[in-house]
Amino acid sequence: MAEKSFETPPRRSETSPILASPMGTPLRKVFNRISGIASSWGRKTDPQGRRIFHRDVEQEEFQHASAHCLSSYYSVFVARLAIMVMLAILIGLLTILTWHFTRIYTTKSLNTLAFGLRYELLQRPILRMWNILNSTSEITTAQVKLSEYVIRRYNNPTTQAEQVELYQMMKDITWALFSSRKALNAITINYKNGFVQAFHRDHRSNNTFYIYSDLANYSISGSESYDSKMPSLRQGWNDQYIRGNVSATWYREPLDPVSGERTGKPLPIPPDDLINIAGPSQVPDGVASWHVAVSKSIDSPLLSAALPVWDSSNTSIVAVVGVTTALYSVGQLMKELVEVHSGYIYLTSQEGYLLATSTNAPLLKNTTKGPKLMMAVDSEDHVIRMGAQWLQKAYGNKFPPGHVVHVENANLGRQHYYIDSFFLNLKRLPMVGVIIIPRKYIMGKADERAFRTLVILISASLCILVIGCVCILILTNGVSKEMKLRAELISHLDARRRAEASSNYKSQFLANMSHELRTPMAAVIGLLDILICDDCLTNEQYAMVTQIRKCSTALLRLLNNILDLSKVESGKLVLEDAEFDLGRELEGLVDMFSVQCINHNVETVLDLSDDIPKVVGGDSARVVQVFANLISNSIKFTTSGHIILRGWCENPNVSIDPGKLSPDTKKPLSALKSKLKQHGNHMKKASKRDNKMILWFEVDDTGCGIDPSKWESVFESFEQADPSTTRTHGGTGLGLCIVRTLVHKMGGEIKVVKKNGPGTLMRLFLLLSTPADGIEQHSQVEFAKHSVAVILALHGSMGRLIMSQWLSRNGVPTLEASEWNELTQILHELFHARTRNGFDTHYSLGEPLRSKVHSLQDMRNPVYIIVVDLGLLDLSTIIWKEQLNFLDKFSGQVNFAWVLNHDTSNAIKMELRRKGHILMVNKPLYKAKMLHILEAVIKDSYAERQKRSPNGTKGTAKEGDSHECLEIDSNHFETCSSDDDTFEIGGANSVSSADTGEQQREGTVKSSPSNCQTLKNCLVEFTGLGSELNNLRAEEDQCTGRPKLHDTDQDAKCENSNSPDQLLVCSSPKDRDNSYASKPANGQKSLEGIRILLAEDTPVLQRVATIMLEKMGATVIAVGDGLQAVDALNCVLDGEEYRRESSLQQRSRLQTEICASPLYDLILMDCQMPKMDGYEATKSIRKSEEATGWHIPIVALTAHAMSSDEAKCLEVGMDAYLTKPIDYNLMVSTILSLTERSA
Amino acid sequence: MEVGQMQRRLMDYTKSLFMEGFLDGQFLQLQQLQDESNPDFVVEVVSLFFDDSEKLLNDLTMALDQPNVDFKKVDAHVHQLKGSSSSIGAQRVKNACIAFRNFCEEQNTEACLRCLQQVKQEYYLAKNKLESLFRLEQQIVAAGGSVPIMEMGF
Repeated sequence: MAEKSFETPPRRSETSPILASPMGTPLRKVFNRISGIASSWGRKTDPQGRRIFHRDVEQEEFQHASAHCLSSYYSVFVARLAIMVMLAILIGLLTILTWHFTRIYTTKSLNTLAFGLRYELLQRPILRMWNILNSTSEITTAQVKLSEYVIRRYNNPTTQAEQVELYQMMKDITWALFSSRKALNAITINYKNGFVQAFHRDHRSNNTFYIYSDLANYSISGSESYDSKMPSLRQGWNDQYIRGNVSATWYREPLDPVSGERTGKPLPIPPDDLINIAGPSQVPDGVASWHVAVSKSIDSPLLSAALPVWDSSNTSIVAVVGVTTALYSVGQLMKELVEVHSGYIYLTSQEGYLLATSTNAPLLKNTTKGPKLMMAVDSEDHVIRMGAQWLQKAYGNKFPPGHVVHVENANLGRQHYYIDSFFLNLKRLPMVGVIIIPRKYIMGKADERAFRTLVILISASLCILVIGCVCILILTNGVSKEMKLRAELISHLDARRRAEASSNYKSQFLANMSHELRTPMAAVIGLLDILICDDCLTNEQYAMVTQIRKCSTALLRLLNNILDLSKVESGKLVLEDAEFDLGRELEGLVDMFSVQCINHNVETVLDLSDDIPKVVGGDSARVVQVFANLISNSIKFTTSGHIILRGWCENPNVSIDPGKLSPDTKKPLSALKSKLKQHGNHMKKASKRDNKMILWFEVDDTGCGIDPSKWESVFESFEQADPSTTRTHGGTGLGLCIVRTLVHKMGGEIKVVKKNGPGTLMRLFLLLSTPADGIEQHSQVEFAKHSVAVILALHGSMGRLIMSQWLSRNGVPTLEASEWNELTQILHELFHARTRNGFDTHYSLGEPLRSKVHSLQDMRNPVYIIVVDLGLLDLSTIIWKEQLNFLDKFSGQVNFAWVLNHDTSNAIKMELRRKGHILMVNKPLYKAKMLHILEAVIKDSYAERQKRSPNGTKGTAKEGDSHECLEIDSNHFETCSSDDDTFEIGGANSVSSADTGEQQREGTVKSSPSNCQTLKNCLVEFTGLGSELNNLRAEEDQCTGRPKLHDTDQDAKCENSNSPDQLLVCSSPKDRDNSYASKPANGQKSLEGIRILLAEDTPVLQRVATIMLEKMGATVIAVGDGLQAVDALNCVLDGEEYRRESSLQQRSRLQTEICASPLYDLILMDCQMPKMDGYEATKSIRKSEEATGWHIPIVALTAHAMSSDEAKCLEVGMDAYLTKPIDYNLMVSTILSLTERSA
Repeated sequence: MEVGQMQRRLMDYTKSLFMEGFLDGQFLQLQQLQDESNPDFVVEVVSLFFDDSEKLLNDLTMALDQPNVDFKKVDAHVHQLKGSSSSIGAQRVKNACIAFRNFCEEQNTEACLRCLQQVKQEYYLAKNKLESLFRLEQQIVAAGGSVPIMEMGF
């Protein structure tokens, strides 16, 4: 355990932050969760956690609660996360879509545009190429046609001259053509005989040359063979022929580019040095041929076309015309285009030789054999090279049909390029055009924009995400707060439910405990009763025991109240409706509290108006409880001053006498009255119908008071006007709540009323029924006609005032004195003045007092009663004896009544008695006590007068009368102190009757102390009458008169006990003997001759009860269950009938026994039995009794000690109720009372 | 052993029984009921109690062994046991019964079983104590002494 308790605190501290900071930050939450998990894990691994201790259970609950908390945190966390993720996804999607669409559409449109552009760009150089080709072909054709014409003109030139003329003619024609076409590079004519004519234009130097071969080497005759050998020559013509001409001498003469005039001397040049001469080899099949050539003079490739010139018969080729055009201009165009649009364009042949590029890179490569065409892949321009390489790599030789390629994203080097190629499908010269445009040029801006847009979008969406997350956090925070609140609410509800359950347990516990608590109390009270019966007690001991007895009774009452409170709480409180003496209850209450008040220097005053009915119907215990709570509450908060319990009656029929109310209460009362009227006439009607009356009460104290703002709330549970009062005064704050509940139950209301001066004024009214025969017996003695005058020498001003007011209302003149000197003055004034005729003037009385004194003096032969508070005497020194002596001087003229304190020492009492002051009452002085004093004095004085007359026998009668008075008081005490507890009544009565019984038996001097005890019970002590043994002033004749006195005493008692409202009846001396025997050790058979049927299933109890009853002389027949009991009874009934019919048939043995016996006097019935329980059995017995009209008393025996059980018992027709374990005395008294009643 | 010594021992033992809460005032009442007319009253009642209790405890054990416990029956048994134990003043048995009944009302089988064990334990304890008490008394009677009556001095 120690180890356990050592372990627990850190764990608790570990988990406590979870509950301590429910509104923590998320970080904190996470931390808490981790710590919570860790701690719970720690618990699981704790090997000692198996032990079931209370603390452990609590902790588990605790842990459970925190785990619950954690799970809720977790769910909130997850929900948040999910929402955030969804938001993120949404925003991301939106961003991507936006970006995508913006980008895709621009890209697409741009691409379309770019494609168009590229197409256009490439188309133009190709067109140009086409143009070039066209023009070349036109020129060639024209040349051919002209040549044919000329050659036909000069068909078969026979002479040299003709030949020359022909050539001249050809030259002119050719010149004409050549000069008309500036773009031409060269026109050549290669005749069949090997003669060559050519015009050549050098673009770089802007020179024009005429090139021709040496005519001398050619014969015209050769044409024959040429003709004849035509088919064979077709092949042989070409190269060999040209090669054969290698040795021929070529001349070049510069020409004026415009006029064609010869400007220089012809210079011999090596053949083929400058230009290509298209020979027959190039037209092998006799149709036009195209090819790309290179020349030394020009660094661009040349497009040369060759066309044969047929003779007139169209069978043989006479010459071959060749036209060469430089592709230079195409390149130029490309450059121009590229300059505008950037990018690269190149044109290749199908084989891949470069024809033109947009760059300045050379198109030809110089080899040893002269310039050669270059492949595109070998181009010096690296972009073109790479483009070509890329194309080759991508497609190899398998170009898509038409050679059309559109590549948008070719990665060349580090840049992206668009590559488009077009195929120009010329029959003789297929060409491929490729355009390479850097992507940046077209898409650069778009890409940049797209990138920027992306960045902006992403940043914007991030911003939105963050803001969204924050919003979600805030929102979910609200939600989670609400959830937390709800969780708290739920836990509160849970806690409340648990609390309710626990309070339910409490009630159950109390119910179960009730008889456990009552048993020892019953034992204590019983033992005290035994002790009180003991003779060897001294007076002091006796007084103490009586006090203990009272306290025990109070404690028992308290216990009962507590038990009943548990009923109030569970709403099961049922108010009893019994008649009780309200005044006596309240007097007893005030007596009780005055003891407490004395220590507080507080005066307790009871001020009941005369119109309060003596007997009212209601729940006396609850009424007393209400006032007990109120008064004890007042006492708690009142340190000095007074507490007044006022009561008056508001009978709907009787208007309130305003004079009866203290002046400061009138106004609020009228307010309350009007409120009462408002709150329904029906109530009044009801009260009339039920003979109910409204009783008003006030509890007025001079304590610290209650703040007006708390006037309502003090009646709440656990509410105190000032929280600090718990410290100083203790208490739970339940008292007033109970009071209000009870007052409401009784149809009344309670509230705090404003009062003048300090303190609190609680006002309440109760609706109590008055008995139907509620004729108020104001059996008041007409004091006025006895001419009584009272001098109240009392300390407490309030009590004195009220008393004197009451007395004067009843026609008794009063004088008041608050201290010794005042008293002496009044006495002097009253008596000395009379004797000395008022000449003694050195006593200065106030004028009003003096006039009162004089008015007293005017009375005829008054009986003076001086009520002296013992506190007026100076008890601290021995002066009080002097003071007594002083008072003794007046003893002949006045009657003294002493008001004693509770703690007045015996010595003083003795001294008082010695001096003949026999009339003593305990504080506080209230109406009833005053009445007793008055009655006693009046009777005394009457007796005195009688004594003075010679008839002496009246004296005993007088004493008998006074004893009657005493006995009434004694009964009063018992009923007062015993609320509704039958046991207590039984006990007390048995005690008192035991006393008298003993008295009667012994009938000697011994009786006096017991008589004294009886007298002590009442609060008025007639010492002189009760105990002459102690009375040193005893008169012998009184002592001899004692037995007689006892007789009258007992007669009086009999009269009293025969009065119907007393539960326990002791009607005869024999009964008194029986009840005396209730002390078990005595061995008296109190139940002699009583036949009892005991129905009890538990053998043990059966045996015990049997023995108990048999010991008291009862005859007991025990049965095991309810059915047997019913059978037994029925048998009896039948038996009776049988007997009446003189039929002596007998059944079973048991029945025989039973039948033989007369009726049972009583049945003791256990409530819980097998087969048929007590309730059922009782019901059936009562049913069977209906026919006969008998009523067998049935007493329930039950282990349940709740009033509800009692109610159930009584409901089914039982007459009384005993709780297990059986209390001896209670059982006897109950049985006796029931058998007596039935008898 | 001397009679006086034995008597003193008996007194001490009885007192200890009261102090430890095994017995209460009811037992004293029983003792007071015993007189010449029925000299063995206490023993008789107590042995009645033993028989009754054994039976009841058996019944209880059976009833609680059932798969469907009839709490009404159990409650009735416990009630009876409580009544008889309180009648002879076997306080602790009675207290255990009170706890038992609460669980019966809750219909808590497990707790009921636990309570049954407790009641049994208390019962056997009380039985042992009472038997040894009676043995002592018998020894005293055999030795020719009289059994001192315990005064209500608790």
